[in-house]
Amino acid sequence: MGIDRRSIVKFLIGGAVGSMFTPTPWILTDDISIWTQNWPWVPKNIKGVDAYVPTVSKLCPSATAMLVRTVSGRPVRTMGNPEHPLSGGKISPLAATEVQLLYSPSRIKRPLRKASDGGWKEISWTDALALLDEKLGFVKGSATRLAVISGDQTGTVNEVLSGFVASMGSKQFFLMPSEAQTLARAWELMGGAGMPGFETAGSDYVLALGADILESWGASTRTRRAYCEARPHGEVPAATYAYVGPSCTNTAVGADIWVAAKPGSQAAVALGLANLLIKAGATSSAPDFAAFKALAARFEPATVAQLAGVSEANLAMLAEGLQKAKAPVVIPGSEFGQGGSVAAAAAGMALNLLLGAYNQKVGLRAVPEFAPVVEKAMARKDVMANDLAAYMQGLAEDNKARPEILITYEANPVYALPGDVAGTVAKIPFKVAIAQFMDETATMADLVLPSPLGIERYDDVATPAGCGVAIYCLNTPVIDAVNPAANIHGGDVILGLAAKQNANLGFNSFKDVLAAKAKAVGANVADLTAGKAFVSEAVTGAQPSLAAEAIAKSLEAKAPEGAYALAAVNKLGFGTATTAVPPQNLKLVREFELAGTLMYVHLNKATAAKAGVAQGQKVTLKAGDGKAIPALVNISEMVMDGVVMAPCNLGHTAFDEFAKGKGANVARLFTAQVEPGTGLSFWTQTGVAIEKA
Amino acid sequence: MSGAQQSFKILWGMAIDLDKCTGCGACMVACQAENNLAPEKDASKKQRVMNWLKVFELSNGKPFPDHDTAYLPRPCQQCGNPACVPVCPATVTKKDEEGGIISQVYPRCFGCRYCMAACPYKARYFNWYDPEWPQGWDKTLSPDVSVRPRGVVEKCTFCHHRWMKAKDKARVAGNDPYDLPEGAYVTSCTEACPNGAIVFGDLNNPKHLVHKLAHSEYAFRLLERLGMDPQVYYLSRREWVRRLGNHHLENEKTGEFTPLGGGHHG
Repeated sequence: MGIDRRSIVKFLIGGAVGSMFTPTPWILTDDISIWTQNWPWVPKNIKGVDAYVPTVSKLCPSATAMLVRTVSGRPVRTMGNPEHPLSGGKISPLAATEVQLLYSPSRIKRPLRKASDGGWKEISWTDALALLDEKLGFVKGSATRLAVISGDQTGTVNEVLSGFVASMGSKQFFLMPSEAQTLARAWELMGGAGMPGFETAGSDYVLALGADILESWGASTRTRRAYCEARPHGEVPAATYAYVGPSCTNTAVGADIWVAAKPGSQAAVALGLANLLIKAGATSSAPDFAAFKALAARFEPATVAQLAGVSEANLAMLAEGLQKAKAPVVIPGSEFGQGGSVAAAAAGMALNLLLGAYNQKVGLRAVPEFAPVVEKAMARKDVMANDLAAYMQGLAEDNKARPEILITYEANPVYALPGDVAGTVAKIPFKVAIAQFMDETATMADLVLPSPLGIERYDDVATPAGCGVAIYCLNTPVIDAVNPAANIHGGDVILGLAAKQNANLGFNSFKDVLAAKAKAVGANVADLTAGKAFVSEAVTGAQPSLAAEAIAKSLEAKAPEGAYALAAVNKLGFGTATTAVPPQNLKLVREFELAGTLMYVHLNKATAAKAGVAQGQKVTLKAGDGKAIPALVNISEMVMDGVVMAPCNLGHTAFDEFAKGKGANVARLFTAQVEPGTGLSFWTQTGVAIEKA
Repeated sequence: MSGAQQSFKILWGMAIDLDKCTGCGACMVACQAENNLAPEKDASKKQRVMNWLKVFELSNGKPFPDHDTAYLPRPCQQCGNPACVPVCPATVTKKDEEGGIISQVYPRCFGCRYCMAACPYKARYFNWYDPEWPQGWDKTLSPDVSVRPRGVVEKCTFCHHRWMKAKDKARVAGNDPYDLPEGAYVTSCTEACPNGAIVFGDLNNPKHLVHKLAHSEYAFRLLERLGMDPQVYYLSRREWVRRLGNHHLENEKTGEFTPLGGGHHG
């Protein structure tokens, strides 16, 4: 039988029909699909037993309480802790990535010594501590030759650090600038006792004067729970939220009312509101009420409109809202969580006093401080009075004696302080960075000591800035340190050095310090260890003043130079100065926030027209003294007229491929000045010029 | 694959209050950690970035000071009449399981991306790169969700593995796995949201809050008029947000606002 055309066609058709009925091609296709996805470099799932271990974030300024999910001891992710007042089951965008940051490419894994060629040499802990001990021996007894900067805003480690500094004969212990410092200084000027806190839960009118309360201000996860509970889904909100600030921050988006006001104009707005409230009958038993009334009277609505850009109608609307509210609260703060005016903080707190919202369930509350346990530790008020920005300025201008040794503890002043302090820091002969990540300050250090992350160590969190109740929490290690040579807490490092310097602080280990603290707080250690928080709703203190004299003097501060006002915005999702943008969080950056290595700055159409710039145009923002950053223009109506908005925490020159070189550091442009009357530096009023690149 | 819409006893769905969302991105980070999404070094290349959940910024289009902003988290809408399912040549993506969650079986996907073209919500993402984690980071991967290689399409699954776990837990406790109480199964984004903007539950279960919210006078669904019948509802008391969600033309009259919630569910 020959092969003819018909038989070929029959064979092909028969084959095609047959293949429809045999599973072979489908199984082959399935197999091909499966096996072409089964590559050795694609990780496989590792099964195990689940556990959820409670702790509190030491990386996120919100101090969010978390549960770390572990799978057979392997940490997988963090979630909110439903049983904890600093979470309520919710989590911040920074705390949500804390487990992944264990393996950040920027983690410091072992002690490093700067080599003569500028590179890094790994050294042992023994050698590192011996070197540091030797250097410290030369500065002991000097008031100026040792300086220590801490980036921890809530931990008892600050008692160890300041106690060590004091034992060495110095008082140069500084905290990185934050809302805590601004509020503490203002509260001291007002003669308040304890720490000022703001309770929003149960309020029917919350006025955020600059403070980005639903994003980066204070214990924001806790504040956001109160916001959530006041606004049931699909129902009319039980509380009105109003935000006053130059740009539509995340708080402004969540608020019912956004009233635009020039950057750093919180004091003028607060005094304008005080004037209207006093005219409407508000009063206070504060000893300086008469002086405050006279001061506020200078801030008629027309004056406020001129100084702050707030229309008379809007000012009246806010005053009426506060006046009619049953449980109002006013929360003052910097728009970006640092560098705020002390006078503005005092004026904002004074509003609460005028409204009778003082030491009630809602409003301003004098929250008791926990007793210190390190005997030689500096008093909190003394620490808060130490002005780091002014100190650095003094060093830069040779007005202050340069220290021989600078120790930074989980702080990144080189990146975060206003202006450019790198040159000043570089001149310090011996710099030690106790750090978790290779940030800008660690990069400049002569000796780098690795610090474990919060979930790898014992630590604590005591009442975050502005929190309306006193809270104390203990961190216990969720896991062993993933880098075995990075398992010594900075507190233990300092205690060891203190002992060697015969500056005994009374404790052998940092764990002992924490045990003593828990006892001093009056908390049950077993409960703390199990992840529960100690909470005290008690308030303390008598009638504070309204700080009228200090606020009046603060008005003598220099007005900002530059055609446009700079409004910085701080988003927790973009990380902090010490974490930079965590790798996962880079996806949060929106289309018109970053393009490759250039970040966008935002100005509205009217401002852009005035500046003669267009969407996507490359520009240079310039502040005084030749400070400049490059950027692209984004036209956005989320910014008020005459203002340029720029994000914080971009533009790192250190860290890793996820953060380095992305955008520009807006802190370079900040112009700090010491505030008359209050004595603390502030940099919420920075003027800039926009130049086409 | 065409024909009558399949009905389910349980219909998992969301109600997202856009008046409470402040755009912080906690939901996006929690989603990545839960579902093993790899970080990307240049996340400004938005056409290449993998997000199962993305938060969009909405504008009312007015100049300052009349401008208003809203943020809109967009997971997979788990449509009742999905456009992605009928176009998939490899039965990767189906809507046939109780609960009404659209599946995505990665080993079957060969990356033709028809589903991406079909999805009106752009909720599907093509994996352009092999997932790459910094050294050691793979130790933090969740055992619940398989890691996907490049060349496949990915999407939000409403954290389907959490439903599996919730059902198992109910079975162990001797309860009906198909009658879970509110909160027994929620997605990672719902759990994380610090403002509590996301509510998750069974749209068919009157005991679940989401059932009530879907009937709210403020509820709407994205591109409602396309007839996709999404299981994600949005809430806003702002008319411009609701108009934008339904892609009304600028001068198009919408008349009296008609509640859309619950049109097909419950």
